[in-house]
Amino acid sequence: MSPNLKWLWPLFKTVFLLIILEIIGTTFLPVIGLSNYKIPFNVMVVLFLGFKSDSPYLPIFIFVIQYSHSLFSVEGWAMGTIAGIMVCAIIRFLKELLHLSSVPMTILLTQVFQTVWFAIVSVLVYSKVDNFSYLTQKFYRFIPESLIMSIMAPLFFIILEKFWSGGEEGRLGDEV
Amino acid sequence: MRILEDEKKHLRIIINTAVLLVALVSFTKQKGVLKYVSPFESVMISIFAPVQGFVTNVQSSVKGFFTHYFANINASKENMDIKRKLSALEGKIFSLDEIEKENIRLKKLLRFGENTFTQKILAQVVAWDSNSDLKVLRINKGSKDGLRLQAPVVTHNGLVGYIYRLTGHFADVLTILDPNNRVDGILKNSRSHGIIEGYSGAFCIMKYVSSSNDVELGEVVVSSGLGNIYPKGLKIGTVTEIERQSYGITQYLEIKPTVDFNTLEEVIVLNAKDDHLKKIEWEALEAMDEDEETKK
Repeated sequence: MSPNLKWLWPLFKTVFLLIILEIIGTTFLPVIGLSNYKIPFNVMVVLFLGFKSDSPYLPIFIFVIQYSHSLFSVEGWAMGTIAGIMVCAIIRFLKELLHLSSVPMTILLTQVFQTVWFAIVSVLVYSKVDNFSYLTQKFYRFIPESLIMSIMAPLFFIILEKFWSGGEEGRLGDEV
Repeated sequence: MRILEDEKKHLRIIINTAVLLVALVSFTKQKGVLKYVSPFESVMISIFAPVQGFVTNVQSSVKGFFTHYFANINASKENMDIKRKLSALEGKIFSLDEIEKENIRLKKLLRFGENTFTQKILAQVVAWDSNSDLKVLRINKGSKDGLRLQAPVVTHNGLVGYIYRLTGHFADVLTILDPNNRVDGILKNSRSHGIIEGYSGAFCIMKYVSSSNDVELGEVVVSSGLGNIYPKGLKIGTVTEIERQSYGITQYLEIKPTVDFNTLEEVIVLNAKDDHLKKIEWEALEAMDEDEETKK
């Protein structure tokens, strides 16, 4: 089986978009005095790929996205890659039940899987820091950040859909 | 068709397992105190950080324009107040100059607290970390400007943090607001020791302060010099809340940093004269950690 490299160009465009969003996210909010809140664009991109892509190379896409994110965060790529692969595995397992057919559904599913992502990351963080109050603080920040992300998701998914529409796989819930 | 599907399934399992394993190993090996960058990461950060700096400058200029416009309305009145304060401060500076000279003389006499921080490098904040869990900021100076890992970062108001990740022209600073950053602090009046950790993004908490020590609200906390990173006497913050439990032997203090992180634009990096000794000490500490891990 020869490897299908159709995904290279859409992936490049996605990484480029992510970098622009990361630059805006790391500079705009702090300037207006909101340095405590950041919008997790990397999570949104990984969720989109989880919903959209049926490619066996999905873990590599997740790694590339997380590695690009790590250039703007000392968090590193490893934790997000673990969470991303797990979340995408769950999405794949539930594929028959999930349909991104409308804006409210997209918002709802993005919120649900961001919560799953948060739970996985919290377990990993707790294994390192062993501090429950840290997770409580993290949860308080997660609520507004994830809500904003979910509301923005339909718009960003349309943009990302344009990048990936050349691929052979359909979006979740589509007939392929 | 069936064979192709099976091959795809196997490939998916192999790639998933391989990437997950590599990520798990990397996550396990990740250290909280320092972060080394690969040459590729260094190049990529050097490409994107100037863009971050440019965007920050544009946004700051726009914000500054509006802020100054509104500030001008009350400028004349404020100017009078400032002039009055300035003349009072000038008198104070004169007396402080005398105290400083006396202090230097006495220190020389006692050969006490040798000043190892000779180089002060001014840097501009270009961005904050893209993860809200981490209170890390990016500055526009790097190893090419003489910065070193773990060099303390300050402003005229007090302690900011230390250099956590370093590239040629940029550096990431782990601030005192981050829970991974722990500073050994001392209360200025009561002289009680404690460990200061980042807490809520705007406050820090000071742990392990003995309950028997009388602490007052508004008391200033400074760095104690212990811990091998920060020099002694850097202002950290003031006590805003005291939590004392009747059965506990220690008390928790909420500390408001003296540095306003929301409006932070420039910082000063204190570079040590020679960190050869420091390096040996860190290597010894790391070796001890590794020994403990092997014993476990």
